Amino acid sequence: VFPARPSWSSAVSIRSPDVYPRNQRLHRNYIISVFDEEDNDVTPQPLYQADPGSVQAKASRFFLDEISGGSTSDQTITSASFSMPFSRSVLGSSRFSSQSTIESINEEMEDTFPKRDILFMSCCFPSDVQGKRVAVKEQVTENMLNAVIDIYLSETDCISLLDIPSTSVSVEADNADTITERNKQYAEICKNMVGNEKYVDRSIQTLNDALKHKQVQSDSIVMVDAGTFVSTWEMYDTVSGPEPDESVSDSETKKADIPEAAVDSSRAAEKSVSMGSTTSTGSVTSSMKDVEAFGNSLNAEADLQLIMLSERFQQNLLATERSIVGNVFQPKLAAYRQLLVLDNPDRSLNSEAVEQKTEGSENSPALEYLWTFSCELSRGRSVSSMTWNKKNPDLLAVGYGDSESSDQKPGLVCCWSLKNPTWPERFFHCDSAVTTLDFSTNNPSHLAVGMHNGTIAIYNVQSQNNQTDVINSSECPNKHMDPVWQLKWTLEELSLTGEDKVESLYSVAADGRVSKWFCACLPVDVMKLKRIHDEKKTESVVSALTPGLCFDFHPTDSNIYLVGTWEGLIHKCSCSNSQQFMETYKKHFCPVSCIAWCPLSPSLFLSCSSDWTIQLWKQDQFAPVLGFTSTQKAVCDIKWSPKWATVFGVVNVGQLEIWDLKSSIMDPLIVESAVPPVNMKCLLFASHTDCLVVGDSVGQVTVYLLKNMRIGKGSQVKDKYTLETVIQSFTSVIT
Amino acid sequence: MAEVEETLRRIQSQKGVQGIVIVNSEGIPIKTTLDNSSTVQYAGLIHQLVMKARSTVRDIDPQNDLTFLRIRSKKNEIMIAPDKDYFLIVIQNPSD
Repeated sequence: VFPARPSWSSAVSIRSPDVYPRNQRLHRNYIISVFDEEDNDVTPQPLYQADPGSVQAKASRFFLDEISGGSTSDQTITSASFSMPFSRSVLGSSRFSSQSTIESINEEMEDTFPKRDILFMSCCFPSDVQGKRVAVKEQVTENMLNAVIDIYLSETDCISLLDIPSTSVSVEADNADTITERNKQYAEICKNMVGNEKYVDRSIQTLNDALKHKQVQSDSIVMVDAGTFVSTWEMYDTVSGPEPDESVSDSETKKADIPEAAVDSSRAAEKSVSMGSTTSTGSVTSSMKDVEAFGNSLNAEADLQLIMLSERFQQNLLATERSIVGNVFQPKLAAYRQLLVLDNPDRSLNSEAVEQKTEGSENSPALEYLWTFSCELSRGRSVSSMTWNKKNPDLLAVGYGDSESSDQKPGLVCCWSLKNPTWPERFFHCDSAVTTLDFSTNNPSHLAVGMHNGTIAIYNVQSQNNQTDVINSSECPNKHMDPVWQLKWTLEELSLTGEDKVESLYSVAADGRVSKWFCACLPVDVMKLKRIHDEKKTESVVSALTPGLCFDFHPTDSNIYLVGTWEGLIHKCSCSNSQQFMETYKKHFCPVSCIAWCPLSPSLFLSCSSDWTIQLWKQDQFAPVLGFTSTQKAVCDIKWSPKWATVFGVVNVGQLEIWDLKSSIMDPLIVESAVPPVNMKCLLFASHTDCLVVGDSVGQVTVYLLKNMRIGKGSQVKDKYTLETVIQSFTSVIT
Repeated sequence: MAEVEETLRRIQSQKGVQGIVIVNSEGIPIKTTLDNSSTVQYAGLIHQLVMKARSTVRDIDPQNDLTFLRIRSKKNEIMIAPDKDYFLIVIQNPSD
């Protein structure tokens, strides 16, 4: 008997049925298949399917195929599974059973099946134990199938894997006596050995201590249900720590703890206090939830004080006030901005009356009254001058002061904003009556104020709390002694660079000096520019200077300016020549109250005076081009319209007139009379809209809208030429 | 302090203003020019509305915050300036 061939494939090769009969006497390889009465193959399949990755799966499948394939044959063929080249050791045990089954297989097929299953198992397992075998498949050829293969089964030696002999022997065993004897001998030896005192047999018993009950009581753990509503911003707040407005940098860092008060701010004290109050009141909230009464607890009063002192509250108040006022004045403001005026839907009753009114005055140019800037501060004071802010055209500075009356009330300057016509944004009390104002261009928050006592002060309108001026000329040695009649900031171009525009403040005062003030945040270095000489020889030596009442700088060339004097003369001067006038225009015989260069035609200017006349001059002509008279009242103020070249506005004592040279040079286009005893004092056109403001002697500044001025359709350039052509046409008629 | 009082007085005297209520952070009115029941009603209802409005604004962008709230209704307009510590509520009927 010799072992099976190691080759796997050869062992697996099937013996075809027709080959079988030849070798029947040597081998009994057959496949077990079960048929029922109807010859259906009901061969049970193995329950255990080996790992498909292993070779054994193939083998068993192969085996199964053999089983099914063998259904056609009459005789069953045992496959070569019995002879599969598993390890011999395992096969040995299986061989025994297999040999026994082989003999009885044909007779009792059912009985063998369990054994067969065991066979399967034993066949299956070894391959797993062995691990994977790479199946080297030889091509099964016909010849190979037909070849005779001898397979020998043999028994292997018995291999012991583990043998632990027992240490106890039964009393009834055969060698029990000998073992007992030997034990006794050993005990004797141990007893008699030298140094056996070291070893003593001893028993011991563990003592169990007595048990005692002990009780411990502890405070019950208080459970509190807590819930929170989490939203995006709550998470953001937690992550970013305190509110961003308290310290901007904290929003970047991820601090969860609330910091103490912000440092270095005057508001810090209020804020920290207010924070402290919120934390203290927070605890109060948890105790009283549905409190209906108000004002009872001390906390509420303290809250009120703190709240009202906080700056945020003041800002909120400001915003609220503006919203309310905006609601009230909404149609007027819309008209100012030249927006479509919406009818208030709640005012359905009055709409008919309103419509009728507007229908009548649709076509002709008219002034529409919008609103009045007035408050209790300004009531009773006469408006002396007005000016728009250069940067924010909605901000109007108004100077109040009565220069003509004998009692000199302290002056007042109010800065009005369009957002609130009922209360000025800023107001400054001045020492004496304010006569003139001007906003600076380079520093839009600087407002220069000229006063009746000759002081010039500059206020910073930006800061809310600062009620005092930044600069005051009262300590200057060379300050004006007499009322400052006009102030103007001018931008001068430096001859070197041409880029940097230095701004200087010029003033003309009743002491006959036109002064330039260098303002570099410090008072002033006065440089006297001009002495206005009396043209006629006068014997009085008291003063060789006549009061200058007004001046105006050339719109494009800031070196040249015109000065109007008490005598009715208009001098054209240059900044570079402080000794002599360039030109003198003589027509008026009363003090010239106002001069205005035409902004669109730089060679024309208008002058008005108390002699009831308005003169239109051309720069190079010594006689006025045109003169206008409408009423027999002194003309206080005259201004060109910034939008229409041929339109200018005039204020004389009793009325406001709008002249349009294109339509008529004899009569004003629009006349708006003042209600006596109110006198109109000064006039200003708004730069961005069609409105103008008029100040009167009771402290009101009225805003009017110019409507239906059809001439304003063309461009400015076109208008300029229009003006010149108009003038030329008239002058040609006259001359 | 006096200026604040002055401003409040001016607001109260504006055309159409029906009332001013200042509510603290807990919803308790601390200053009012309306009668008690209206005050309490406004305080309670507006508190919830402002919380909701603020939550809405901040949910969309947590860095944003509510600064002013105006509710225009048929009969009047309610203007609310909310803050961390208080609400300022003004009711105005501009067509009066």
